[in-house]
Amino acid sequence: MIEVHGFSFTYAGTATPALRDVDLKVPKGQLCAIVGPNGAGKSTLCYALAGFVPHFFRGELKGQVRVGDRNVPDTPLPELSGEIGLVFQNPFNQITGARFTVLEEVAFGLENLGVPRAEILDRANEALRLTGLGSLGDRSPYALSGGQQQRLAIASMLAMRPRLLVLDEPTSQLDPAGTEALFTHLSDLVSSGSMTVVLTEHKLEWVATFAHRAVVLAAGQIVADGEPREVLASPAMEALGIRPTYYTQAARAAVASGLAPDGRGRPLPVTLEQAAEFLRWR
Amino acid sequence: MTATLYLPGASGVHRLNPLTKLTLALVAVVAGATLETLTVTVAVFVFGLVPLAVWGRILRPFLRICVRVVWPFAISLFPIQGFFAQGTTVLFTLGPFSLKAEGLWIATLLTARLLVGLGAATLLMLTTRPDVLMHSLVRHGLPAQVSYIVVASLQIIPGFQARAQAILDAQRSRGLETEGNLLRRLRALVPLVSPLILGSLMDLEERAIALEARAFTRRGPKTSLTEIRDPAWERALRWLLLLIMAGLIVVRLT
Repeated sequence: MIEVHGFSFTYAGTATPALRDVDLKVPKGQLCAIVGPNGAGKSTLCYALAGFVPHFFRGELKGQVRVGDRNVPDTPLPELSGEIGLVFQNPFNQITGARFTVLEEVAFGLENLGVPRAEILDRANEALRLTGLGSLGDRSPYALSGGQQQRLAIASMLAMRPRLLVLDEPTSQLDPAGTEALFTHLSDLVSSGSMTVVLTEHKLEWVATFAHRAVVLAAGQIVADGEPREVLASPAMEALGIRPTYYTQAARAAVASGLAPDGRGRPLPVTLEQAAEFLRWR
Repeated sequence: MTATLYLPGASGVHRLNPLTKLTLALVAVVAGATLETLTVTVAVFVFGLVPLAVWGRILRPFLRICVRVVWPFAISLFPIQGFFAQGTTVLFTLGPFSLKAEGLWIATLLTARLLVGLGAATLLMLTTRPDVLMHSLVRHGLPAQVSYIVVASLQIIPGFQARAQAILDAQRSRGLETEGNLLRRLRALVPLVSPLILGSLMDLEERAIALEARAFTRRGPKTSLTEIRDPAWERALRWLLLLIMAGLIVVRLT
């Protein structure tokens, strides 16, 4: 589905590359999480996958980004929209301002794609229901809370049913219940084979619970890539500025103090469930 | 949350096609500008716009807005026209200035014209969602980008004001004095302007990304969730109104 090969990008007016020699392959139907400290290049990678680098953000580019059969840097943005969805960090600015109600805001992308009206209604209502906004369809998008606006931005993209959905920190304003609901839904979409998802996320527990894979970016380079638990519980993460979860820290302390004697050599936990299982082992 | 005057409703005027209402408003504006007698101009307001406002169940807000906007103009029109317009019927003299009946008559006519033009626009705005109006115009050839600028501005202006207030509050909490004499107030604007403009430019960039992601610039046929009724009788009425408008202009010019 995604093939990034030898990809480097330096924003115009800057000297330091935001991404350096990135190689990444994501097969169809995978939920791939990109983690890393602030300034690691996560957002740039998201923009590159969705085509906004280099079509919107200009700069010096090397290497290739392919999504499906399209070479992204050579494909105009309007041709990518609808096939590759992008949800970025600031939910307020993802409200287009083109429509006056939440339902219409979700419908806006479908109207631009030329979807028939009856289908627009079905798809928009379904996206609102899935994101927990089903009862707010008549509200002004500007009257929503930050978390609701974030869910609206996600609903707007889900309704467009892109083959690849790229989400840059989609849960930054969501509460734990909202975060879990979103991850569950993304996981269902991916499992059904209808979508491939790449997302950046700081909440490592959720990545470990739902993602098929965790890719770690630091200073514009991929420094780790693999099964989320293995990657995220690795001691190397702290040196990169990625704080392990409380469960990983607790398990590490338990091993060090002899409270989990069988723990040595076993992968440390990242989630509560993994920690319970890890510390129960005797 | 939006800078619009629209009052939701289910009246006959609300249900009219937005283009019909726009044409009605244009005819009223042209009538106000071309009719030469005060009686006919006032009649357009009283027997044209007021009954429409009653039909739209918005008479009270309609009259309130008309009065609120017209009176500041009126109180400046009357002394200016009264004292400085050409005329021979002097009502009284104040030093070198004399108040003339002809000037007051011109001021009354101009106020009536303003009332008709403003009333027509108010009627349109109170009963028509701006996005639906713009959507109708896009269907008739207006570029979608122009429609977007109008509709988005109406929604983004309140956000812009809120941002300005938040910046001002943040600066005040850091000790900036924003009250006092004019000089002090002007000085307080300096730390407000820079974050407001820079922040707004960054907002614009992100909003452009959001629009691209929603296929806004995609070519090809587009559809709409909003259904806009346009029965044959309304189309005929629009043509009739346009003919009346053309007739008024021709009569005025000849």
